[in-house]
Amino acid sequence: MRNKKKLYGVIPAIVTPFKENNINEEVYRELIENLIGIGVTGIVPIGTTGEFIYMKREEKIKAIEIAVDQVNNRIPVIAGTGANSIKETIELTKIAKDLGADAALIVTSYYLKLTDKEVYEFYKSIAEKVDIPIILYNIPQCTGFEIKWWIVEGLAEIENIIGIKDSSGNMKLINSLLEKVKDKISIICGHDEIAATALMAGADGVILASANVIPDKWLELYRAIQSKNLDKARQIQREIQKITRLIVKGGAVAVKEALHMMGYKIGETRKPMIAGDFFTFADIEELRITLEDLGKINKKPVEFIIDKERKIITHIPAIPETPEKIVGLTFKAGEGFAGPPIFEIAHIDLVLGLRNGPLGSIIKEIFEKYSIGHKPKIITEKPLTILVPIVRVRNEKQAKLVYEVAAEGVRRAVNKSIEDGFIPKQIVDEMVIIANVFVHPAASNCRRILMNNFKAMRYAIRKAIEGRPKIRELQKYREIFRHPFRYQP
Amino acid sequence: MKKKIILEGIFPALITPFTKSGEISEERLRELIDFLIEKGIHGIVPVGTTGEFMYMKKEEKRKVYEIVIDQVNGKIPVIAGAGASGTREAIELAEIAKDLGADAILVVSPFYLKPSDKGVYQHYYTLANKVDIPIILYNIPQCTGYYISGEVIEDLAEIDNIVALKDSSGNLAYMLEIMNRVNGKIKIFVGYDEVVMPALTSGANGAILASANVIPEIWVEIYEKIKRGEIKEAAKIQKSIQKLMRIITRKGGILAVKKALEMRGKKVGTARKPLNLGGSLTLENIEEIKLELEKLELVPKKEIKVEIKKTPLKESFIDLEISPQTIEIEKLKIGEGEEGEEINKVSIKVILGEKDSKVAQVYVKALAGLINGREALTAVLEPNLMIKPPTIIIPEIKIKSLRQASIIYGPIQAAISKAIIDFITKKEIEEQIIEKYVMIVKVSANPSLTDRREAFRNTYNAMMKALAMLEVIK
Repeated sequence: MRNKKKLYGVIPAIVTPFKENNINEEVYRELIENLIGIGVTGIVPIGTTGEFIYMKREEKIKAIEIAVDQVNNRIPVIAGTGANSIKETIELTKIAKDLGADAALIVTSYYLKLTDKEVYEFYKSIAEKVDIPIILYNIPQCTGFEIKWWIVEGLAEIENIIGIKDSSGNMKLINSLLEKVKDKISIICGHDEIAATALMAGADGVILASANVIPDKWLELYRAIQSKNLDKARQIQREIQKITRLIVKGGAVAVKEALHMMGYKIGETRKPMIAGDFFTFADIEELRITLEDLGKINKKPVEFIIDKERKIITHIPAIPETPEKIVGLTFKAGEGFAGPPIFEIAHIDLVLGLRNGPLGSIIKEIFEKYSIGHKPKIITEKPLTILVPIVRVRNEKQAKLVYEVAAEGVRRAVNKSIEDGFIPKQIVDEMVIIANVFVHPAASNCRRILMNNFKAMRYAIRKAIEGRPKIRELQKYREIFRHPFRYQP
Repeated sequence: MKKKIILEGIFPALITPFTKSGEISEERLRELIDFLIEKGIHGIVPVGTTGEFMYMKKEEKRKVYEIVIDQVNGKIPVIAGAGASGTREAIELAEIAKDLGADAILVVSPFYLKPSDKGVYQHYYTLANKVDIPIILYNIPQCTGYYISGEVIEDLAEIDNIVALKDSSGNLAYMLEIMNRVNGKIKIFVGYDEVVMPALTSGANGAILASANVIPEIWVEIYEKIKRGEIKEAAKIQKSIQKLMRIITRKGGILAVKKALEMRGKKVGTARKPLNLGGSLTLENIEEIKLELEKLELVPKKEIKVEIKKTPLKESFIDLEISPQTIEIEKLKIGEGEEGEEINKVSIKVILGEKDSKVAQVYVKALAGLINGREALTAVLEPNLMIKPPTIIIPEIKIKSLRQASIIYGPIQAAISKAIIDFITKKEIEEQIIEKYVMIVKVSANPSLTDRREAFRNTYNAMMKALAMLEVIK
């Protein structure tokens, strides 16, 4: 059996940008062009991340057409052509070939669950009917079943089956595939969190959602492994582990949110897949912060209007929602929530503002008139940050968790927000923050309490300063929001 | 020959009462047994899952068997829980139970490592051969991690001293499969509290239940009604306990049972570590259990009388230090609304002002906890979806319990927020205008208000009425 390995390297599973429910050709081409510019070794249009599952046949054809045209033979185009029925899969795969795609990535039938025999025959009968290289696609998170190594071993004998993409995240399976079919077909890892590990173990390449966002990092990592510099590869892996975790959780939603924050007019995912659902609002805030840490979000000047005479400019890692001018600095309200775990969640309500506004006038009162169990505490002086526990503090354990652990998270968040430009250094002496902090009486994991309060406080400050969420966003969710405590147990 | 014991009816999976220091409390155990027998139960199962067998030493198990057998004194069958991961240990326990005079033993399938069909069959086969005592098989995949397969049970049912299966999976398809396979050769007990009624009407012979410690009389009633063919009545009773059963099976197990018994006045201590209150049983759910027991009239109801004073709208914010004069001078906008009857009534008063007005100042005070010890909260549709204009909710009635808090920080908070964004949408108010304002919502709801859907609906409607009174911001 000759070696049919053709695929290698870093291949983004590209998202499909939509605009008013049509493919946004302009942005699609822009994305592809930028990815090629960075050096990706192939692209996969209309795979899982490309939302093939929500696209009509004509749209899929159009997406393949655009991708093939824009790539113009510079790198391989691997079209996602999987469908539930064999007939439909064959039809679309033939079309992809006619349109000039270099290979087809074919997922197994995904509603009814196939037996081993049916999986084998599914791919065999498709391979016999089409004259284009085929890549098997194992993604049990979506299909509900796994393609076993012994199926792949059998299918690898077929002439035009040239690779497998395994998105299961199961390193045991990848290692079995490496053992059994490494010399016959390309083994491609499709799970972002273990992709580096798979490459180090010997996988030929990766097809990844996160390669839309950090193709440079993936290429650097891939090249480090090629040149046997494993220390460097491991270091890059640690650097990107968090963003891969977020993107695996959020899939196309996360990738589109990221590209949106990075400035692409990428549009939203199609219904029913919606941001703020399995990819939560907290995840979105965290994604932004992670992108900032990776240098993927540019800083922009933002003007803080202090009063009629005074304006201060800071440089904020800005997303499209970040206003150019921040007004009304005497009173800003914000809220932030971060979890899990359930008992260690942090929920912070805050107001911040200049001392000459309503906040300044009551500082004295806060320390004179507080009620039992809600004693306020100054967390930091610049800006003056006062923590108020929302749940009555009844014992020493609770007191420690609120006034020491959560407080430390809040303090770090305030300092980080100054560093990030959300609170201008020049006005820290004039500003007051009052943060209402929630620590569940049953909480116990100190590290999580600290981290969640750090996160929630950062979100709350950013949201207060940027005026998020906007009315438009609230309107988007006003029929579908799910308040976690609205229901009986 | 199968030994003749009557394996039918309601069998509590007896909890093991502990003293404060964590030792088995003989006195409490005996009291509890008398209480259950008096309520009409048909048998009793000590040292099962609910009895915390996995946290007990062998000598402790022996002690419990002894006490139970002595206290029951032949009045009803005693089924001793004698499960263990290894076959050798299961045999030891079975022998102890037999020697002490237990009528049968309940043996959970091996857990931690998961044997396949052969291993499971061998476990029970060996046990049945070594110890001459009626054996009840026990399927509880939530704990063991797997089901005892139908095929294995079919074979085990052929063995003389294997007399029944307890199925705690709650999976009726599985239970019906077993009934079909064993075809009456062994008895079937349902062990999942939420599906007892349908299981019994489908032909199960009885129920071994954690919740039968707490509500033995209700289960006996359901059982008897089904026996008499009064299916509709039985279904009605099951429905009345459904929420309590859900909390017990899914949100607290042993901790919930022990807590509920304590509420019924039976001192039984808490569960052994690592189970802990506030962990698998949340503090909120403890309150929910109490509420359900009140509804069933098993614990006395504490009526909370709340008088909501009728105050003219303009004078309704004096306690927030916003006088009628201030309202006029600062041109603050006010509104009120009310909806619902009796305990479900929700009243709302709203005041809106610009960000440099008195309202903003009170907003800050409320957030800082300065309003009368009342815990104010920011209006959000859900966490991370804060509403605009910034709105703070001040409960008029002091929050005393976590459950009461969960009504405010749940349906009421969500309903107020939804009303605001719906109102803004309906009136097409521009964001620029909204940015100028802050709002305070005073809400009064009876602490006994328990129906979350009513709470949401009434709050929403009351809030809509109040918002309609604000002169629409142009």
